[in-house]
Amino acid sequence: MFARKFLSDISQASLLQCIVFLTVMSIFFTFNSPVFITQVNIVNILTASAVIGLMGVGATFVIACGSIDLSTAATMALSSVVCAWTAQNLHLSGLAPICIATVAGGLCGLVTGLLINLTRAPSFIITLGMLSINRALAFILTGGIPIYGLEERITSIADATLCGLSFPAAVMLAGMLVGYLLLSRTKFGAHTLLLGDNPGASEAMGLRVARLRLGIFSLAGCFSGLAGFIFMARTNSGDPSAGMNYELVAITAVVLGGANLFGGRATIPGTLAGVLCLGVLQNGLNLMAISTFYQTLFVGLVLVLASFLRRLGPHQ
Amino acid sequence: MSELKLQSVKKSFGVTTVLQGVTTSFSSGTVTAIVGDNGAGKSTLCKTIAGVYHPDSGKISLDDLSLTHLSPHETREAGIEMIYQDLALAKQHDVVSNLYFGREKTRWPGWLDRKTMSAQSRVVLEQMGIKLPSLRTPIGLLSGGQQQAVAIARALLFSPTVLIMDEPTAALAAREIEHILDLIKKLKERGLIVILISHRLNDVFAVSDRIIALRSGSIVADNLVQETSMQDVVAQIMIA
Ligand SMILES: Nc1ncnc2c1ncn2[C@@H]1O[C@H](COP(=O)(O)OP(=O)(O)OP(=O)(O)O)[C@@H](O)[C@H]1O
Ligand SMILES: [Mg+2]
Repeated sequence: MFARKFLSDISQASLLQCIVFLTVMSIFFTFNSPVFITQVNIVNILTASAVIGLMGVGATFVIACGSIDLSTAATMALSSVVCAWTAQNLHLSGLAPICIATVAGGLCGLVTGLLINLTRAPSFIITLGMLSINRALAFILTGGIPIYGLEERITSIADATLCGLSFPAAVMLAGMLVGYLLLSRTKFGAHTLLLGDNPGASEAMGLRVARLRLGIFSLAGCFSGLAGFIFMARTNSGDPSAGMNYELVAITAVVLGGANLFGGRATIPGTLAGVLCLGVLQNGLNLMAISTFYQTLFVGLVLVLASFLRRLGPHQ
Repeated sequence: MSELKLQSVKKSFGVTTVLQGVTTSFSSGTVTAIVGDNGAGKSTLCKTIAGVYHPDSGKISLDDLSLTHLSPHETREAGIEMIYQDLALAKQHDVVSNLYFGREKTRWPGWLDRKTMSAQSRVVLEQMGIKLPSLRTPIGLLSGGQQQAVAIARALLFSPTVLIMDEPTAALAAREIEHILDLIKKLKERGLIVILISHRLNDVFAVSDRIIALRSGSIVADNLVQETSMQDVVAQIMIA
């Protein structure tokens, strides 16, 4: 049953396109760079995709419910700053910093959800506001100067390797798994998708929409917070300007993975494929020593091409 | 025997008053039709009973239970089901998800139990004589009549006490309408409180026991079906 459901999830037309695209790109890069298809490089791709990947899981839920979250990157930066600051001052180590970052992100998400419920304004507007607020708070907390030189034990957990994977890569894959189980196997996930499909009907059929929305945004916040910890560990600093524009990259990945930007349809395997598409593209172009200006260009082209191909697909 | 009571129910949206003090009651084993012109307030009245809207003043109760301030979640728990005029379906979701919309079955420790839901959906659709190409296709790809059938099946899935049908035959072909009318008669025999909104007076006269005419949010006529005629009803609806 589990396997069959999983297969039917990944056999969706749009996701299949994404996987085909990923394969084609990988073959192309394999021929153009001898190191592309090595274990080290594959782990590199996963590691480099971890921050976007984790934010992407949260973004998948938000998009699935018919909303949009523009504040994920700002939340990520604020969480990493809060985490760096408290861990440094309270001399924390081990799991505590991870928990602090995740909770800080979750609280940001909770506030966003509360504001959307209270004002009944479109999520676009509220999260645009939260983007500015969270980013500003991160700058205010640090006085604009990144918290450098973290004590080693704060981020030492991030040096661990699990089953040959780096810590960021392992956390991202675990996050994807948790997201997958939540979205496609629980009532919470089912309600998230139903809300995005038809908000009026969800109300009429007795879904507790306000509570559901709080849950979704808090969850997305937690994933951003966790991404914040990973970002902090990788750069060994609490940087208020961390991940500028990453929210758009995360949304790009979700849409590449076949989600309906207007809600009702989104999958975690799709998001993973979308994240990997972007990761492979960037990594491959790096290996071929192509300038980052062109990399941005290619990301844009891929998104446009994917949207175009989707119009030809059987789903529309 | 249950009784659904409305006492001077008023509802406005901004400056437009849509229901101006509706008082009436509905009892088990009867089919009550609500007729009226477009914009008379029929859907609003029923959505107020279902908890989608809350009355500005007045009371609604089902036997001893006050429904006045309940949410749609709570009215469904109380056994009130409504088939909405727009069907309230999730178009990108399949038949099973729509049948169990808001009432998904789970098994330990909280996973969705799709297997049971699919199996039971199949049984229910079979019982109701509804034939669908597949339970897995997004419902938006089914025909209007098939979608309506799913909305009806959903309303009956959890054996309600009150069934409100807002234009349940609007998208159906003649043969399917017959089917629905038969179904309504059966539900009446089972002792449900059935409220039927319809523009098709033929259908109304075929199944109803009582006809309420609504005009600009007020009840202007309330007759047993044998005491009235189609001309009377048309006159009640039309004349201002
Ligand atoms: N949510 C709402 N906000 C504002 N006005 C509304 C709302 N719902 C209904 N109305 C208004 O209330 C009036 C009655 O609408 P309602 O849908 O109850 O009519 P109806 O009798 O069901 O008509 P129809 O036969 O066309 O379905 C209309 O004038 C409509 O514009
Ligand atoms: Mg109506």
